[in-house]
Amino acid sequence: MSWADLATIAPLAAAILVAGLVILTDIALPGRRVPALAVSFIGLAVVAGLAIAVGVHPATAFGGAYRVDDLTTYLDLLFVAVIALTLMFAPDYLAARDLPLPEFAAVLIFALSGVMLISASADLVILFLGLELMVLPGYLLAGFAKRDALSTEGAIKYFLLGSFSSAIFLFGLAFVWGLTGTTRIDGVAAALKAIAGGSTPLSPGLAMGLAFLTTGVAFKIAAVPFHYWTPDAYQGSPTPVTGYLSVVPKIGAFALILRLFVGALGPLSADWDIIIVLLAAATMTLGNLVALTQDSVKRMLAYSSIAHTGYMLIGLAAWSSPNSRIEGLEGLLYYGAAYAFMNLGAFAVIAALQRRTGISSQLETFAGLGRREPLLAALMTLFLLSLTGIPPTAGFFAKAYIILAAVQAGGPAGILAVIAVLNAAVAAFYYLRVVVYMFMRDPRGEPAPLVVGRLMRSGLIVTAVLTVLLGLVPGLLLPIVGNAARALTL
Amino acid sequence: MAIPDALPFINLAWGDLLFLILSAVLVGSALLVVTLRDIIRCGLAMMVCFAALAGLYVLIGAPLVAAAQVLVYIGAISVLVLFAIMLTQTKAAPARLVFQTQALPAAIAAAILAFLIALTVGATNWNAVSAPIRTGTAILARVLFDQFVLPFEIVSVLLLAAVIGGIFLAKREQDGPA
Repeated sequence: MSWADLATIAPLAAAILVAGLVILTDIALPGRRVPALAVSFIGLAVVAGLAIAVGVHPATAFGGAYRVDDLTTYLDLLFVAVIALTLMFAPDYLAARDLPLPEFAAVLIFALSGVMLISASADLVILFLGLELMVLPGYLLAGFAKRDALSTEGAIKYFLLGSFSSAIFLFGLAFVWGLTGTTRIDGVAAALKAIAGGSTPLSPGLAMGLAFLTTGVAFKIAAVPFHYWTPDAYQGSPTPVTGYLSVVPKIGAFALILRLFVGALGPLSADWDIIIVLLAAATMTLGNLVALTQDSVKRMLAYSSIAHTGYMLIGLAAWSSPNSRIEGLEGLLYYGAAYAFMNLGAFAVIAALQRRTGISSQLETFAGLGRREPLLAALMTLFLLSLTGIPPTAGFFAKAYIILAAVQAGGPAGILAVIAVLNAAVAAFYYLRVVVYMFMRDPRGEPAPLVVGRLMRSGLIVTAVLTVLLGLVPGLLLPIVGNAARALTL
Repeated sequence: MAIPDALPFINLAWGDLLFLILSAVLVGSALLVVTLRDIIRCGLAMMVCFAALAGLYVLIGAPLVAAAQVLVYIGAISVLVLFAIMLTQTKAAPARLVFQTQALPAAIAAAILAFLIALTVGATNWNAVSAPIRTGTAILARVLFDQFVLPFEIVSVLLLAAVIGGIFLAKREQDGPA
């Protein structure tokens, strides 16, 4: 380890330090929310600054095990933004339920260090450790409301299935290591290129390894048919946690897919692309069809997040065709950012409505919201329109890029484009049903007036602005996304 | 009289025989962990499982890992698990474990998967795997703190995050039991 190595991992080290500092702040000033929150926000700003500073000069550290490139910087900044927004949405909700904020913030920032590790890893061991560091805090956060039976149930389901899928994933890594003899992503890619170049079919061991790896990541991104944990974990978790769980672990797992499937297993893409196409088609269709039948908005958004996994997988399927390598990745990365902000926003509105305890996330809760809370209703409408994919929102451009990339790819990915358009039409029904409830139904009884805290309000406005901005001026993000995609393809 | 290199008649090397015995114990005790209905016996079967795994580590030439396995898993974790079971058992909770009704389909699926894995592993030419190398502490330490220093440090961060989470979940609230 040298000073240069330390400088390269500075953003990661800073994130870990901030998590520790938040805990220390809580020890020094027990039970106070503001100092812990202040340390978190300042710390996150420092992490973001370091990520930008280090990202200017792509570098590797620790003998090539850790690599900072444009993709790392893009993902790091996206994750810091999402964690900061989650910390803006959570305090009111947690305070109303007597749940501690410092532990919440610290654990959230530990998860941030996990995803940052994934986005910078050039070694399979580090990739796996990053994955574990990302999901482990998720299990705790899902069960954060420990007196709530639903929260505990969801957390246990998430924990068990998450651990199993991690074990399956690790088994797959062992197969790949056994056949290539190296854990470095470059080395694996070079070894596999030699195998893929020959005329011999895939060896059974490698095929098995690929199957295990695909199963493992499919669990993490909640792709059908590996999605069974998702609705329960999302519905049971405290609402700000649900927003976090639907964004960070999912996009983090996509970062892992980019590093592993595109980076290391890329030479074998002819062998795995058809599986990705099938997963994408099943995930979009089933996610949307089941979402249609949900009465709880939280559960509906859980199924909708499964459907969005399917849309993002289209980008990966498009990558595996030589016609649209960059376009597919660009679409996937743009979709990741758009999905992060609009989905986080939608869950934040539910969290704002549930500021007082005992308010369910049933559709009834939203009846007449347009008259009671015009601002919240307008924001919710914006996020839902964006999730539907209606211009001029982020969701529209994200879907457009993904579908264009799929059309350009042609072949099986081209069929996915058709399925995606049909699915978007189906999805409009259940998203817009919430809008109909907000503006055209009268509430039963007289619900108590709502107080939206200042932090929550500013967080909502930031997400809304980003959702509109990514839709109106996609040119802001496109060059960054393009550089990130090219960093991976080089 | 010298001991022959391989087992007489069936021509099985001693190492392979040991491997078969240890693996049988490992799989058998692991099955007991998930099928026994008394949770204390499950814990004891888990210790046997860990011990067999330590034996396998010795067999493939990693005595240090085996020692750590014995010290950490059998010495610390198993004892901790047994204590945790004894301290948290209440009269209200069922003493016997309840089983799912899906045990048979799960068993069939597991058997098919095991068969598939055995088939693939047997049919693959693992050319990247060399003969087992006996690794001493010095080499291991050099690799661990040079080539793998980042993963090593990350594991400690992972444990810290897990400890903070575990303490939060186990902590009793001020206003009554959690």
